[in-house]
Amino acid sequence: MYGEPIEALNNALSGMINVLRTDPQALDSLWLSIITYDREVKELVPLTELVSFQLPQVVCPQSGPTHTGQALQMLHDLVGKQVVKGNATQKGDWRPLLFLFTDGKPSDLQLYRDMIPKIKSLNFGAIVACAAGPSADDKLLKELTDTVVHLDTADAATLRQFFRWVSETIEQGNKSMGTVDTVSLPEPPGELHLVI
Amino acid sequence: MSQFTDTKQYIDALFRTRNIMVDPKQNGIFEQFVNEQTCTDAVQKILHLQHTIMANWELRRKADDILSAPWAIPNGTVDKPYHTVLNFAERGLANAALLEVKGTELCGLNYDASTATISGTPTASGDFAITIEFRLAGEDEGLRHTRKLPLIINPNPKSLWKNLPSDTSDPYWKEDDVAVASPLGDRHIVVASKRGRSHANVGSFRDDDFAYTHLPDTGWSIVAVSDGAGSAPYARKGAQLACDAIINYFSTMPEGLTQAEELFVSHFAQPTDDTSRKIQMLLYDALGKAAFSAYKRLEDFAKQHTMAVKDLHATLIFTLVRRYSFGYAILTFGVGDCPVAVLTHDAAEVHMMNWLDVGEYGGGTRFITMPEIFQDTRKFASRLSFRLLPDFQYIMLMTDGIYDPKFVVEANLEKPEKWQEFLEDLRGRNEEGIKVRLEPGNTEVANQLSGWMDFWSPGNHDDRTLAIIY
Repeated sequence: MYGEPIEALNNALSGMINVLRTDPQALDSLWLSIITYDREVKELVPLTELVSFQLPQVVCPQSGPTHTGQALQMLHDLVGKQVVKGNATQKGDWRPLLFLFTDGKPSDLQLYRDMIPKIKSLNFGAIVACAAGPSADDKLLKELTDTVVHLDTADAATLRQFFRWVSETIEQGNKSMGTVDTVSLPEPPGELHLVI
Repeated sequence: MSQFTDTKQYIDALFRTRNIMVDPKQNGIFEQFVNEQTCTDAVQKILHLQHTIMANWELRRKADDILSAPWAIPNGTVDKPYHTVLNFAERGLANAALLEVKGTELCGLNYDASTATISGTPTASGDFAITIEFRLAGEDEGLRHTRKLPLIINPNPKSLWKNLPSDTSDPYWKEDDVAVASPLGDRHIVVASKRGRSHANVGSFRDDDFAYTHLPDTGWSIVAVSDGAGSAPYARKGAQLACDAIINYFSTMPEGLTQAEELFVSHFAQPTDDTSRKIQMLLYDALGKAAFSAYKRLEDFAKQHTMAVKDLHATLIFTLVRRYSFGYAILTFGVGDCPVAVLTHDAAEVHMMNWLDVGEYGGGTRFITMPEIFQDTRKFASRLSFRLLPDFQYIMLMTDGIYDPKFVVEANLEKPEKWQEFLEDLRGRNEEGIKVRLEPGNTEVANQLSGWMDFWSPGNHDDRTLAIIY
């Protein structure tokens, strides 16, 4: 992702954070972390509570491999370290939600597939994968989660819609539910196609 | 530049850059040349100009570093004191010729130049920018660099909560807030159940519910409390049906319970394995079946209304209490994350009656709507519990809307000191100074409990239900 689309993505992300900042529940309880992945996998923002959160620019090289598998590996490590599990003497965090956004396909396919069961075993409240643009591979994302959203174009309006929907989904994340149920997702707007 | 203080050295270096070699035969002339006044003056001038160029570059580079290096200041929140010190030394601004900080007043903050501190209590939320204007020592008088530091001020979450009415035309509508009190056999009960702020904010319904009754014919009192799952669309109905099903089940008191006096008296006087086993059987037979009847009721309702039983997900706790010659028999059942506790002598003794179904993540629990809770018979038996006590002061049943903010974790429910704090809180040791007088003659007790229940606790905005037998 390069040029206009990445700019649109940054704007949409920033818009999402602003929307979340107007939600009292999110201000009280939401923590966010961003991992970027291309050739390099980077913890762009460590897990930070929304009130202290400052969004940096997401930058992306013009070309090169997409290390989705490595990104999932880092995610797996970070969830293990940073998400607080509850027990009799310690309050657990709400179940984390995972949003994975890509405009390509995993270059490290073997690792990507190896990581899928490990990511699933983390028991996320929801995993939403978003395939943006014509080069993104819906089928591979389907192996990670049933919820795959396809954006035909990664223009500003579509991305804004998508991240508004993401913020609505985040707002669903702190409700009591069965220990293995998943978060029910809000109806996506028309521009987003849920891949069946 | 020190290496060039000698004119000859400078000229040597200059010649080298031009690939000019002085013929050894001309060494004498060269020596004379570099020592002539015009030459030494020219070299001094050149060195001076070079020095100025380097110094200017150094200033320009420093200024650019200051303008472009990452520099973030913490976010603030409206109505919450803010304090941050701008570390100018670290930024290369220790000896700036000019340094002004502007824009703090836009969000209600102040800047104190003597301590380089931004402080105060923000009054406005949004994306602001603090402007730092500076000039480095040595730079032109007229120059002013401007660095903007983004400053995010969050709104005060308290100000964002909306209180939207729930839709009274909904088939499963229920009142947002209820509070009742009445005698219960030879004791009293007060219950308040309130819609949480998270529901009020979006105009959705209270998912908690409760029901209680006293059956004068058999002497038993029954209290049930249920918390509908926030994630289930008809949980509010599920919670109501579950509580009502329990009351309904015991409207015909199982024979085992009507004839249990001898067993309880004997167990109270001298507990044996035999009496324990018989009481366990009785619990299983009476309370276990009642719990199952609640499941069946929910399953039937789901079928009739073509919904999934999980759409009605709700936790369930209930207790049966009866007075005997020795004191009280207290029997309980629980599934989910709502505690039942019996307190004596101002919580000198606390009997936690149930364990809580809590997962590794917040909000994860089990519900009466899950058939698997009836299949694991050993675990199911542990959901049933009893106490025979000469007396009790309070029996408390609460949903997680109370338990989460007041006890936080399950281990605290076992600690008498936590319950003593909780009783103190009810008696008025709270921010608002609201007192709940748990006394038989107090006709205001329901309103008092309802008022107390509006307490503020960040992150805890679920429905709240608290039932107290006193």
